[in-house]
Amino acid sequence: MEKKTFGITLRVWKQEQGEQTGHFEIYKIDGLTGDISFLEMLDILNEKLLKEGREPIAVESDCREGICGCCGLVINGDVHGPDEHSTVCQLHMRRFKDKDVITIEPFRAAPFPPIKDLVIDRSAMDSIIKAGGYISVNTGSAPDANSIPIEKAQAEKAMDFAACIGCGACVAACPNSAAMLFTGAKIAQLSLLPQGNPERNIRVLNMVKAMDSLGFGNCSNEYECEAVCPKEIRISAIAKMNREFIKANFASEQ
Amino acid sequence: MNFKYIVRMPFSSIGRKILMASSGLLLALFMLVHLGENLLILKGESAYNGWVDLLLSNPLIPAMEVGLLVLFLLHIFFGLWVRFEDWKNSRKRNYEVNKSQGGRTIGSATMLYTAFALLLYLVYHMIHFRFADHSMGFYQMVTEAFRDKFFVSIYVLGALALALHLSHGFQSAFQTLGIQHEKYTPVIKATGWIVSALMILFAFISIYFFAGFDAKLQYEQEKVLETVIE
Repeated sequence: MEKKTFGITLRVWKQEQGEQTGHFEIYKIDGLTGDISFLEMLDILNEKLLKEGREPIAVESDCREGICGCCGLVINGDVHGPDEHSTVCQLHMRRFKDKDVITIEPFRAAPFPPIKDLVIDRSAMDSIIKAGGYISVNTGSAPDANSIPIEKAQAEKAMDFAACIGCGACVAACPNSAAMLFTGAKIAQLSLLPQGNPERNIRVLNMVKAMDSLGFGNCSNEYECEAVCPKEIRISAIAKMNREFIKANFASEQ
Repeated sequence: MNFKYIVRMPFSSIGRKILMASSGLLLALFMLVHLGENLLILKGESAYNGWVDLLLSNPLIPAMEVGLLVLFLLHIFFGLWVRFEDWKNSRKRNYEVNKSQGGRTIGSATMLYTAFALLLYLVYHMIHFRFADHSMGFYQMVTEAFRDKFFVSIYVLGALALALHLSHGFQSAFQTLGIQHEKYTPVIKATGWIVSALMILFAFISIYFFAGFDAKLQYEQEKVLETVIE
């Protein structure tokens, strides 16, 4: 059976490498079916552009199964596209209709400098993690699996926060480009586990300091981050981080 | 001595927000007390003036006024500082298609605007009531002011701005202070809605006098009295 195909118009943000500003370029693409993913649609377009001798659209993706956090686009104003709590790679063309005009923009935030077109530099998030989003352990042989018993419920709770893939959607969706959900998720995860306990005070203080100095905004509890997070990290992560901050600031030696 | 913990409060994003949130919550508490006092005016001149006289006879009132001023200044100062940081760190280029992702509310999106409206209102309120001539008695001063169309409109707008500000501010302050749990956050949110709805009563009081309900009530009471006598 012949599948019904459709065509769309794309308005894609184009920005040359190292340039400070760019423009929207219009592309038309036909012969699409609902079964192909949004990124595959961009692949088809890029192949077509290459054959025509035109410059392809720079776009980042890796695992394409929603767990690496590489892809991240703002599609018609929706961070990670119109599907709720999902990454761009999980978005399929069946969400669009024939003759739709789709505007594609990169994640925008001052600490995320653009590299080219839709590719941005998210290393500021790595810098936050480097400031304390880890536990210090002695290297050596692997410890016994059950040497530190952790309640199942507690482990699950920590895992909910550990699910963060660092895609930056929270920052992209935040009206203040704050990275509080991202930072809060890591702090909440480690504070729920015995392994994270020894460094919990210095961790929250250092990570918040790093977050502030990297140029992320201040949270104003708009809860936009929670609405877009593909891993459904809840704003309880931010509340947890705030509690950890208060505790570390007033009730520790730091 | 370790003073880092004091420095960290104004000089960190979370610290600033905690200062803004806690001063804001105390101000919300003050607004509730203030509303309770204002509602006494509906009971008539002697009840209202009696309460004001009792209040002013407390020697601690001037000190408490200074405390209130400090609360307002803290809230305004740290609120502006948080906003300044956000403005400084804002996107170099905004999104072409700007859209709420579903978290924002009218209250949260307009916090800065309602804040400025409330500040203007506060100055107006201070000039007309706090630093006005009190010789005619507080009841007379307030009810006479409420006969004025312009004054009542300002008063109603102020009350609406306050309701909108608190519709986000109340629950947001608890979140900032880390008081958040799926057990009681719905209760906090509901309380926030009730508190913000109560603020509309400030507008109700002014409309009550503007529409002359107090006179009508008095007239009806007199009529009832007359029929009883007859």
